[in-house]
Amino acid sequence: MNRPDTTAVPPFGGAEHHSAAPAGRGRDGSDDTAVRVSGLTVRHRRTTALDGVDLDFGLGVHGLLGPNGAGKTSLVRVLATVAEPTAGRVELLGNDLRGHRERGAVRRELGYLPQDFGYYPGFTVREFVAYVAWLKELPGAGTDAAVERAVARVGLADRIDAKVKTLSGGMIRRVGIAQAIVNDPRLLLLDEPTAGLDPEQRVEFRALLRELGRTATVIVSTHLVEDVAAACTEVTLLEAGQVAYRGTPGSLAALGADGHESDGNAVERGYITALRGHRTATGAGR
Amino acid sequence: MTGWHAPDDLVTRYADGSLAETDAWSLEKHLERCGRCAARVSHAVRAGAAGPALAEVRDAVLATVPEAAQSTTTTPARTTPATAAGPARTTPATAAADQVRTAAAAVPVPDLAPAVAPRPSRAFGGRLARILWAAGPAVRGTWAGAVLLVALGAVALAYGGGWAGARPLLLALAPVVPVAGVALSYGRHADPLHEIAASAPSGGLRLLLTRTAAVLAVSAPSLTVAGLLLPSSGPQLPAGPATAGWLLPGLALTLASLVLSGYLGCRTATAVVGGGWLLAVAAPLLVSTGTGLTAGLTEQLSLYFTGASSQGGWAAATVLCALLLAARRTAYDRLETM
Repeated sequence: MNRPDTTAVPPFGGAEHHSAAPAGRGRDGSDDTAVRVSGLTVRHRRTTALDGVDLDFGLGVHGLLGPNGAGKTSLVRVLATVAEPTAGRVELLGNDLRGHRERGAVRRELGYLPQDFGYYPGFTVREFVAYVAWLKELPGAGTDAAVERAVARVGLADRIDAKVKTLSGGMIRRVGIAQAIVNDPRLLLLDEPTAGLDPEQRVEFRALLRELGRTATVIVSTHLVEDVAAACTEVTLLEAGQVAYRGTPGSLAALGADGHESDGNAVERGYITALRGHRTATGAGR
Repeated sequence: MTGWHAPDDLVTRYADGSLAETDAWSLEKHLERCGRCAARVSHAVRAGAAGPALAEVRDAVLATVPEAAQSTTTTPARTTPATAAGPARTTPATAAADQVRTAAAAVPVPDLAPAVAPRPSRAFGGRLARILWAAGPAVRGTWAGAVLLVALGAVALAYGGGWAGARPLLLALAPVVPVAGVALSYGRHADPLHEIAASAPSGGLRLLLTRTAAVLAVSAPSLTVAGLLLPSSGPQLPAGPATAGWLLPGLALTLASLVLSGYLGCRTATAVVGGGWLLAVAAPLLVSTGTGLTAGLTEQLSLYFTGASSQGGWAAATVLCALLLAARRTAYDRLETM
């Protein structure tokens, strides 16, 4: 690949231009909210990871923020059809997940980057991504091109025939993103995608996120507030298994407008304000 | 769809190859859906530096296949936006080569097909190759090594050590080898890719069966060949069961562990089935102290493997397990619990 690792120009000229696109419209222009969740409860043994959560997500990039243990990963794993909820209703891309056929239909249009994922030591980047394409039942004829495009989109075209195990942590993360987008998913779930990426790669990755969010519902779980501020159209803040705040990066920044710069930027202050506000309201202080 | 269309400068830069690669990919994504922009890009490419080369190549291709020309006249509108990827990342020369490839692919003439064979790096074409490759990770290094060790170890014990018990021991262990292979290749405890596979449509029974098939394809021939190489009985011992006698029991036990996986998860199920078999073979030996190990094992295996009734029983168990698997196929959708 001949493109150096320079900061990517946001495809099609920048985020602001696209974030104006209304959420809730699908590729085919029909009204579809990709994710509808109501009363979602997830318990692991005695701890409650999610406690009666109601959420909707439409077209665009949605940031999922919250402290460690807030339930971000539990939510993403339920939406990825990996974990089964203890209670509640989950509707993805208009399908109820309880049916076998519906589950298959959803999974074909799903992209998922787990927080931790393994790979086969002998596989190259190309083989790894192609293997996931096979798992996602991509038609054999289009697989090669889809794999090459997905790998190029994460900036690894020059390493496509390298063994995955020879790559750095940040590059392996990008391979993970490539496998998640190989089927052009309508619903893309990324759990801590920027972990291990250096600042320059993060900037490039946010540009990719904004681009993906034009045609898909992208849900990004992160603990980096700056990722949300730069790439997301909407923010959902989770705390102790409950939704603590919903808004836009702008509204979160407005919440932290009258703080001091030494407490971080406006969005970071807004994040703290929202979190504390929720803790006060629910009586769960620190 | 958003109402966005590619601005003119983007189209121009794409056509002359000066657009950054990520932007080029983005634009191509858009072109797949937007006929209007595709037509503009197509026009810009033909008007640009690569234009004469493209026209030349197109004429050459059409001249080669005059009888197919009629069908191809409709293709330029469709193929040109796709091949326009050429200028963006490479020179007009390779763009022309791309054009040949695409145009030739669109022409239904068999003689041209070999000339545009896929590049070696795309060798995983063909259906069989894809299936083998998809099953590949099942035959993991440790397990394949263990199969080899069992097979070679039995041969070495029989000929090197002159031990008559090698063959019955091999036949006693053989049915659990594929069961162990399943345990080591599928499920959340064994498969490093399980979290991703769990969210994929093929992560369930299809993947489990693919891997099981790979495991059987490796273990059945290698263990049977090893069994055939071993002396069938010692001078003072009764003739043991036929070497191929383990195949049906092995298949039945493997399928039984798949069925049980739907209830207990892969690791527990394979442990129960494998352990159960070993217990069924070993327990009678421990109880009856009269006979020697080799004779006792041979007798026990003959009971399980020889005769129409026992083989018929294994066949019935195999069919029953296959039916149960088919009936419970949706239970494998939750790889997380496997």
